[in-house]
This record gives sequence, C-alpha cells and structure tokens, in this order.
Amino acid sequence: MREQNAYYTLRSLPGVLILSLLFLLPMAVVFSYAFSNGGNALMEAVEDGYTYRLLSFTLTESFLSAFISVIVALPFAYLFSKYSFPGRSAILTLSALSFTIPTILVVLGFVIWYGNNGILNSLLMNLTGKNYAVIEVLYSFKAIILSHVYLNFPIAFLLITEAWTASSDTAEKASYTLGKGRMRTFISVTLPMIRGSIISAFILIFLFCFSSFAIIMVLGGNPQYSTLETEIYRRARVSGNIPEASALSLLAFFITGAILLISSYGRTKKKTERKSRVLLKAKGRNLLVMCLASLLILLFLIPPILSIVYRAFYTKAGTFTLRAWEEITGRGFGLISTAMEGIIASFLIAFLSSLAAVLLSASMALLSARKNSVILPFLASLPMAAGSVTLGLGFSLLAAYIPHTSPIVSYALVFFAHLIIVLPFSIRTMTPGARTIAPSLSLSAYTLGASMTKTLRKVEMPLLRPYMRKAFAFSFALSLGEVNATLTLSDGHITTLPILIYRLISSYDYQGAAALGTILLLEALIVFAIGEKGGRNAVS
Amino acid sequence: MPYLEIRNLTRKYKDFTLSASFGVEEGDFLCIIGPSGSGKSTLLSIIAGLENPDSGSVILDGKDITDTRIQDRNIGMVFQDFTLFPSMNVLKNIEFGMKTKKKADKDRFALNLLKLVGLEGYEKRSVTSLSGGEAQRVQLARALAAEPKILLLDEPLSALDPPLRKSIRSAIRTIHDTLGITMLYVTHDREEAFTVSDSILLMNEGKSVSMGSAEELYTHPGNLFTAFFTGEGTAIPAHLVYENTTGYLFFRPEDAVLSEEPINPEMYPMHIVFNDLKIVSAEFTGSGYLLGLDYQGYPMLCMSRTKPRKKDVSLMILQASMQNLPE
Amino acid sequence: MNGLRNTLEPDLGNASAGKASPPDNTFQEITMKKILIILFVIISLFPLYSNGVKDEGNVLTVYAYDSFAGDWGPGASLIPRFEEETGIKVNLVSAGDAREMISRVKMEGDRTEADVIMGVSDDSAYEAYELLEPYESPMIGNIPENLIFDPQHRLIPFDYGAFAFVFDSESGIRRPKSLSDLASEEYENKVILIDPRTSSVGLGLLLWSYSIFGDGDEFVSWWEAMKDNALTVADGWSSAYGLFTEGEAPIVLSYTTSPVYHVMNENTTRYEALVFPEGHEATIEGIGIVKGTDMREEAEKFVDFILSEGQVEIAVANSMYPASSAAELPDAFRYAPKPDKLFPSGQVSPEKTEELQALWLDIMTR
Repeated sequence: MREQNAYYTLRSLPGVLILSLLFLLPMAVVFSYAFSNGGNALMEAVEDGYTYRLLSFTLTESFLSAFISVIVALPFAYLFSKYSFPGRSAILTLSALSFTIPTILVVLGFVIWYGNNGILNSLLMNLTGKNYAVIEVLYSFKAIILSHVYLNFPIAFLLITEAWTASSDTAEKASYTLGKGRMRTFISVTLPMIRGSIISAFILIFLFCFSSFAIIMVLGGNPQYSTLETEIYRRARVSGNIPEASALSLLAFFITGAILLISSYGRTKKKTERKSRVLLKAKGRNLLVMCLASLLILLFLIPPILSIVYRAFYTKAGTFTLRAWEEITGRGFGLISTAMEGIIASFLIAFLSSLAAVLLSASMALLSARKNSVILPFLASLPMAAGSVTLGLGFSLLAAYIPHTSPIVSYALVFFAHLIIVLPFSIRTMTPGARTIAPSLSLSAYTLGASMTKTLRKVEMPLLRPYMRKAFAFSFALSLGEVNATLTLSDGHITTLPILIYRLISSYDYQGAAALGTILLLEALIVFAIGEKGGRNAVS
Repeated sequence: MPYLEIRNLTRKYKDFTLSASFGVEEGDFLCIIGPSGSGKSTLLSIIAGLENPDSGSVILDGKDITDTRIQDRNIGMVFQDFTLFPSMNVLKNIEFGMKTKKKADKDRFALNLLKLVGLEGYEKRSVTSLSGGEAQRVQLARALAAEPKILLLDEPLSALDPPLRKSIRSAIRTIHDTLGITMLYVTHDREEAFTVSDSILLMNEGKSVSMGSAEELYTHPGNLFTAFFTGEGTAIPAHLVYENTTGYLFFRPEDAVLSEEPINPEMYPMHIVFNDLKIVSAEFTGSGYLLGLDYQGYPMLCMSRTKPRKKDVSLMILQASMQNLPE
Repeated sequence: MNGLRNTLEPDLGNASAGKASPPDNTFQEITMKKILIILFVIISLFPLYSNGVKDEGNVLTVYAYDSFAGDWGPGASLIPRFEEETGIKVNLVSAGDAREMISRVKMEGDRTEADVIMGVSDDSAYEAYELLEPYESPMIGNIPENLIFDPQHRLIPFDYGAFAFVFDSESGIRRPKSLSDLASEEYENKVILIDPRTSSVGLGLLLWSYSIFGDGDEFVSWWEAMKDNALTVADGWSSAYGLFTEGEAPIVLSYTTSPVYHVMNENTTRYEALVFPEGHEATIEGIGIVKGTDMREEAEKFVDFILSEGQVEIAVANSMYPASSAAELPDAFRYAPKPDKLFPSGQVSPEKTEELQALWLDIMTR
C-alpha cells in the first residue's frame, strides 16, 4: 500500500509540478509587483474605501448568481436523476454548451434575443399590439443575474444531476417506509447525499461570477455595477499602473482562495457509493412532466445561442445572406480571410492543451481518489480562484520578460495559459471517476503479479477512459472559447476563433463574427457529443 | 518447517491490534474463521502484501517475504467483491497474470482452467454479464493462472445464495485436491469451514484463539470462545458440580440425555445428573428437537428425538464428554 | 509451487513456471507520451526563436502596435512594398499596445533592437519623448498644423481619429446638435456610452466633455443628465457598437469615421456621424525614430514611406484619417465628416485624467 501511494505520487509529480509552475510563475510576478515599493500599492488598495464598495458589490452579485443558479437547477436535477426518457442525454449535452461561448457572443446573443429591440420583444410587440418593448430586462441588475444564471445554471444542473444519479436511493425508500413525507425525506436524507455537489457547484459559480466583467458592465447598464475585476483591468490596461492592478489581484485572490479553502475544508470526505440509482422510464404523466422540463431548459438556453446562428445568416434588417460564409470559405478579403487559419489554430491549441491536461491529470485524479486527498483538489482549484484576468495579467507580465519575436513563443505561451486554465477542470472531472474504481480491483491485479504500470494501463486507465473523454471534451470546449488570457498574450500574431470574433466585431462585421461563433458552437457541440458518448455510464 | 509461517505478526489499528503466529503445511487447506471484525481479512491482506505489518514476519517456502512487493510474492488472491477487470473479457482476465508469453500456450492453459472451474465456453463472454457465482469462478481461474505458490480466498462466497455457495465451495475443494495447492480460506461461516477445510484457525479480536482440525475444535475446543463458535453447547460454572473447581463445564446438546422422570444420581456414577429443569423453548431441527432448559437460572441446551410431554425434566451427561474449560 | 500447470497440462512441463516477471518498461512508455508533448512545444520554440533574433545586422527593426503589425494589419502588405522599393529589410515586431511598446523599449534600454516605433498616441507621448530623437521629415509639410502635437518632431503624426456620436437616421428622433443638446430629456435611454475606466473611446468622451465644459458645475450637470440618457455604459467600444447596430439605442459613442464601413460594406447611409461645431476630442498617432539607432538613414526612409505611400492603407485599415492632407481617400470617406475643431487628447495631464475618472465615477454611482 505504501509503495502504491509512492507510485501514484511519483506519477502525479509531472502534473503537480506543471500545475504549480504554471500557476506560481505568473502569480509570483503579480505578487512581486504588488509588493514593489514596499507594498505601497497594496496598502493603498487596502485603505481605499472604493475597493470595499467594489468588493461588496462583487460579493453580492456572485452570491446571488450562484444561489439562484443552484436553486433553479435543483428541481431539474431532481427530475433528470429520477426519470430517463429519450433525449435525456441530448439535453444534458446541450446544456453544457453555453459554457463555451465567448462572453462577447453571449452579450450579443442576449441583446439579439432579450434586447429592447430584440427578437423576443418584437414577437411580443406583434402579439400584444404594443409599440414599445414589453420586457425590459437588459441594462439592469436583473440582467446581470439573468445572464449569470444563463451561463452557470448548466454547471449546477450537470454537477447536481450527476451526483444525484450516482447516489443510492435505498435510504430514501427506507425513509418513505418510515412514514416520512417527500419534503422531510428530501431535507434529511437526500440533501445530505448531494450536499457535496451543491456546495461545489455553488463555489464554482461563485468564483466565475466573482471574476465576471464584460457581462456586468454591458448588461448591467450602470457603472455602479462594477466588480473588482473591472478595476484590475482598468489599472493594468488603461492607466498602466501594474503595481496597483497587482495589489488588487492579490486582494481578490486572497478572498477567493479563502472561500475555496473553507469550502474544501468543510467538505466531508465520503466514499462514493458504487450502487447508483436506477432511472425510471418516464411514462404517461411523468413523460409529459419531463418533456415540459426539457422544454423549459431549452427555451432558456437555446434562443440566445440560436440568435447567434440566426445572425450568421440574416442581416439586421432580416434579409437572408450567405456573405459571411462565402468570405470564410475563401472569397473574403482582410480579416475574415484568416478564418480558416483561426479555425485550425484554435483547434490545435484546444486539442494540445486538453490532451496535455488529461494526460497530466489522470494520475493526479487517481492519487487524489486513493489518498482521499484534500490538498490536491485544493491545489488544482487555485488557478480557478486566481481567475483568468489575474492569470492573464501574470502571463503577459511574464511574456514581457521574454523578449520574443517569434509567433511560436506566443503560441507556446497561449498553450501554457490554456493548459493552466483547463487543468483544474480536467482534474475535477476525473477525480469522481477515479473514485469509482474499487481499490480491490487494483490490488487483485498486483496479486496476479502485474506491475503498478501494467495495472494502471490495463486496469485503471480503461475504467478512467470515459471520464478522460469527458474531461477532454470539457477542456477542449473551454480552451476553444477562452479569450481573456489569449487576448493579453496575442500581440497580433495569434489568430484563434474567439480572437477573430473580437476583431471582426471591432471592424463592424457582426455577421462574420456570428458565423465564426456558429462554427465555434458546432465544434464544441461535436466534441461534447463525442465526450458524452464515452461517458454515458458516467452521467446517465 | 512449515511451508507458510506467520511469525509474531502484529499490526496496530485504532480499535484493535492484530497479532498472529502459526504455520501451514504445503498442500494444506486452512480455513480462517471468526466473527466479523476479528481480523481475519486483515491477516490475509498482510500475507498477500496488501498491507504492511508493524512487526513480525511472513515466511513462504523458506523465504522471508515480509518486505517483498505484492507483485513478487507469487501469492494468489480471490476477493470477496467483484474484481474482474471490466475492460477485458473472461479469457483476457484469466490470461492477465500468466507468466507464459506464447499466445497459444496462454489460450490452452486458460481453456483448461475454465474447464476446471466449470465454465467451459465462457471465454469470449464479457465479465459484466456474468452472474455472481460465475464471476467468482472466473476470479478463481484468474488467480490460478498466475501459478501462485499459495492461494488466498477472502470470503469468496459470502455474496452468493446458500445453494450456490455449497456447489462452489465443493468445487474449490475439488480444485484444491486436484492441484494440491496450498489454500488459505477466510470465512465467517462455520459450516463452510467445517466442510471444506483440512484445518481451521479461529480468530477473535485480532488474536488466533485456536487451531486444529474441525473435529478437534468441535470435540476439544480448549476454551469457551472456540466451544461456542464451533457449535451449540452449554456452559455452567464448574463449582456448581465440583467443589473447589474453577472455570466452566461445557457439553454439547447431543451429549445430554433427557429424561421426563427424575434421575437418581447414585444410579449413574459415570454421569453428571441435573434434576428439576424447566423446558423454556423447543426448536425443531429436522433430526429432532433442540430444547432450551432452565436449571436454577442457568440456561442449558439438549437434543431430544421427540418432543417431551412434561414441562419438568431431568438431564444426565457422561462425565467423559463434559469438559472443564478456563474462563 | 510448480505443479499447477503440470497438473493441468502435463505436456507443457514447467518450462516457464517460476520465471521472473518481465522487466517493467511500460512506465517509460506513458511518461514518454506526456514528456513528448511538452518537449514538442518547448523544443519547437528554440530554433524559431533564435531565427527571429539571428538576422539582425542590416535589418531595420520596427516596433508597432498589434493592429498594424498583426497578420491582418496593414503592415502585412505595406512592409513588403517598402522592402521592394528601398531594398531595406524590415523586422516588424508587434509589441502590444502603445503603452506596452514604450515600456518594452524602456526595459530593453541601450540594447533595444528597435530603430523605429510607430503607433504612440498623443496622450501617452510624454512617456516616449526621452526614448526618441527628432526628425524633420520632408513630409511634415503635408500635415496640418493642428495635428502636430510635438513641435520637436520626435513623434510625427501619421493618422488621427475624432470621437463622435453616431446616429441612426431611421430611428425617427431628432439629431442632437451639440453635447449640451444631447443631454436634453428627449434622449432618455437613447444613448450608449462607454466606460472611461476600461476603454480609450470612453476616456475620449470624458476628456471631450472636459475640453468643452472645463472645471466646474457644467461638467458635473452634463454628466448627471447623461446618466439618465444612457441606456447602458458598455465596457468597450465593440460591445457598445454591437448594441447600437442591433437597434438597442439610436445614438452611440464612436468615431467620426464609423459610417464609412456601413457605406462600403452594407451600402447604406443609415448611420451618420454627428459633427458638433464646438469641436471634437481627437486622438493622434505618431511615429518616431529611437535614440541611438545605427540605421538612422533607413529609419528616415521608413518614416517618410509611412507618411506618404502608407497613408491611405493605414487610414482605411484603422478607420482613421490620414495625417497627410495629400492622401487621397476612397469615396466612402465622404461619409466620415472631418470636424473643424479638434482637441488633441494629449493636452490633459495623466494626473488630471485620474482625477476626472474619479469624479466621473462619483457622479455616475451617486
């Protein structure tokens, strides 16, 4: 047993080293700036009342978004972990999609759909005969929460559904036989079983919203809705005051890090049950309920996405045109003619960083499952706590130290930045998978004389493979849509899809941007479908 | 020197300490029994190398293997739970630990093993489609395929239905007899241990309590724990019968003779006689009735071919079958 | 224990029984895969990286901002033309935005490869002056007086743009005539603004309003009124203009040149840039020769090229006006009206800018 732990520790070493290096290096640069000049900037940030106003809004906004996402997700998770019906996995796959869309497209999709002059309002105006916007949801605090829930509801939905499906329902049945009602059973029996997934979904969403930036500013409609990240961005990019930006990053990181630490400390170490519940086939009324629930999810998630697809084929005036597509396929000039290059570059970066992430995190997931480690998952979540703005800042400061003229260096930096961004998600996806591998399975292989490596390759890896596929798909989609860090590192030579989308929007070509966005979504959808296909026993 | 020797082995746990010392001869079939939590599975794990002892040594075939890696011990193990590799079919599972390299040799050996465990024609089956009993047979074949020096079986049948258990345990015994391989078999089922083993090691609270053949342990248990674990019986304080004697007197229900009339002890000098017993319960066992009796507040058990008509009865037991056991 | 297979297969004998297990070489196999991927990336950097530095000698190194030097920027077509005409090899380095470019040259100090830097805007010019040496280009004569922000000609303007509000003529509302007019109640929720903390365009309006209203109550009351008139304050120009073209509001903060795109690509004059007689905030971009260059002559040729032949291409690509009045623009630029009066953005000190931002934030969140 001791050897086994030593072996997995050894195998995890490259992953842990790369994780630490890629995280610590940029953070160290940020730290050194924050503490330069005897920590002046840091002291100022701590003493400034404005910092606390930003902080209090950031915390409020993140808390509300995470809370509502989880609350909304719960009833759906309940239904989807109880009944099976044709299309169940399709819904689960689709709901993971909104995760990959670059923020600017989400904003665009929201405006096209929910805008005062958007599709939804046009439809309602026709229906009601009114000549002003019927639903005025954008440009308010409501809009911030709505879009955050839009982006993060799927995380809560997927995580909780997965945990719920994997938990055994015998205790619930026992509770029913003891005469306890549904509500009582849910609160005292079911909730404790899925509590872990609820907490981790909450924390994940909280962290995402904590570093939310563009959405809050554009859809919030008022500068009083600004977050700590806004200020970091402003000080770093607009006023060029790196020490101040670093000081604020540091402050933000301490807060998110503390939240992460508390949540990982409080999480009870529990063995996952190997006996998951059997899904009931939905029939009759239940089928109707499931269809209705699916419809609700689709009605919530799909229109903004479809709006982007719609905009790729129609002008604002509503005329059908294939102009953008013709330009992408080679008849365009200027920016859009590099679309193919961007598609290939994005694919390669996403492919390589996800592959590296999956290979590195496999043994880390096994180690963390074997030792029931708390430190490893915490370490793996640190980059998430740092947020992509801070990591991007660190990487770009780092890049300044390396005088580079070759685009390959830029691509390598982007690769490493993507790797550190997707690695935590990869580890998170695989660790529950590694937990399902019974320790006795590996032990029995050892007694048959199989070396640890042979056991890893022939016994553990095949069982981990569906989770690896899932982790790959997730990482791939994440890398595909990554724009913050890429943008800070790009220096004009890097043409990924999201960057092209940004550039196209900057040169007024919304249709081209929407067309590339459609390609991005399609690519993510295919990868997800492949990943889910392998992971069927994991989710469904 | 025994083939497998466990020498002064100790391993401390939070709630109990395992300590054991015993030897097993080559070709022996040793059953390790004891209540759950007595440390029998842990003992097996230490022998296989799945866990490390705090002190003491494990010697196999004259070689100290206490610090040898699991992989190099050449000890086979059949686990209680499903440990077949889901990513491989039955044949691949069996061939996993084989030492031969040639595919043809492997296949022939595997097919022979399948025949041995009674699963001919199963080689292409997916292991997830197997029933519990079939899975354990494949586990057995897989363990044997690695040509282990000894085979450890950790409650291999505890998850199966009783009739299936019976047929597989006799199959295991047959395999043992055919191959002459040394087997250590952990079970909490006394009947299972009695029927398959050559000898039995009884464990309680981390310690080995007694060791011997099933018959020896049953007829001469040597201590109360062994006496009660190996079968039904009655124990009463010895001073009730003999003055100045400590410990307990123990007898099996079938050794007691029941009488519905009071017995005069002087008529039976070779026996110990108890009069004025009350019948508390009567269980039909098939071959007769197992009666629960009350003697001055002490419970006693005895067998009777028929159900007594009276409530008040007497008992007599041959002194020779009465054992004085320490506390 | 060698009887097992014997018992089962007497024909096989014990040839392989008890043999040691095969050596463990699979460990390398998997690790190698990982290492290979990482190595692949790392190794591939070196030859190409050294390539970039190697052929320095007789090459003119130009640091430019991303949108010029990027693969899609005008540099991609202008540089080969320059090389062909003059026989001077150019190493074009994209060095981030204007500010990053300056700090990079500062950091590299005497060892910098840069001979020319281009794309320093007038508001950050003061940071760059110490790095540059003056050049009296013969092309300066073509540049209008009001654009020349550095009388010493260390930075020579090559293009400029003016911030303006763009108006949707199909919205059915009245065209505002001035900044003050825009603040009137009829434009409630009709204007899309941009945050000066995160966007240079947003900052442009802040400085513009300061240039018009100056220190005092008028500045504050104008912004208070604009707070009601703003539908939203976007984080950047891209999202703001996106909301505008999606019809969310009929007026957006942008550039005077914005309508050009709609004319050239969508053949519509629906969107108009509003020119206010009181004047517009302008941002002027300059090019300069780095102090201590050993390729002064080649550098001068490059500057002259940018100020003559490069003018139109750069202006079209950047949606800016060329600095040279000699440049002939495409017809569509008719729809990019040139304001008569310009306030160069370099006139406000950085400290004042910070102060204005703080004041703005205070007004907007009050």
